[in-house]
Amino acid sequence: MNRKPYIQKQSATWWVKNPFYRFYMLREATSVPVLLYGLFLLWGLYCLSQGEAAFTLWLEKAGSPVSSFFHVIVLASALLHAYTWFQLTPKIMVLRFGKFRIPDLWVMIAHYLAFVLVSAIIIGLTLSQLAG
Amino acid sequence: MKQYQRSHEPIAWSLFGAGGMVVAFIIPALVLVTGLILPGLESSEVFANLLVFAQGWIGKLFLFATISLTLYHTVHRIYHGLHDLHIEGNDTIMLVLFYGSATLLSIVCFSWLMVI
Repeated sequence: MNRKPYIQKQSATWWVKNPFYRFYMLREATSVPVLLYGLFLLWGLYCLSQGEAAFTLWLEKAGSPVSSFFHVIVLASALLHAYTWFQLTPKIMVLRFGKFRIPDLWVMIAHYLAFVLVSAIIIGLTLSQLAG
Repeated sequence: MKQYQRSHEPIAWSLFGAGGMVVAFIIPALVLVTGLILPGLESSEVFANLLVFAQGWIGKLFLFATISLTLYHTVHRIYHGLHDLHIEGNDTIMLVLFYGSATLLSIVCFSWLMVI
């Protein structure tokens, strides 16, 4: 490469002083607990494939105090992610019918309704299908 | 003619976007399921019923999409987050480390679902 781009020096803590940037970093940081939760699910799937003894052990771990604390952090992270994601989607999903553009608020409300519906289906199916 | 190197970004962003939907819509309820509901139930019943679920095609698709897209979504954010924090590494190594591990774990998830 023969070009020498000028790279402005910026400190690694550029985001600390501005509340907008701090919130941005918090949003991005939600991915860390959620990643760990993805690995936790994968581990559960592995235990499920290994038979009842392994799965029971996983289920006991899932109910432990450390795991409960972990689940609270993951829930908060996923909800913050969902909130910011639903703020974002109306800006990406621009729906037009002729000259009429569906207002951002409608798109956002549709997402929240879908969120409630999907959550109710997952919890409802769990209670009705897995319990009995 | 000059050969341009294709950016990985369109593929990475599609997976990130799809994963963002999964994390927003599915993960909150799933956290309540694995953290609150399942530990309170009889474990042998949960095992038997969950096994039947994971053996069916709908269950396989649900578990694969949820786990794999969650992994792709989060590694994408962490990859770019490290860049924001000026933690830089060799480009190729970073790409392989993050998207590569998400791909590897997705393959692992897929194979476990196939033999279950």
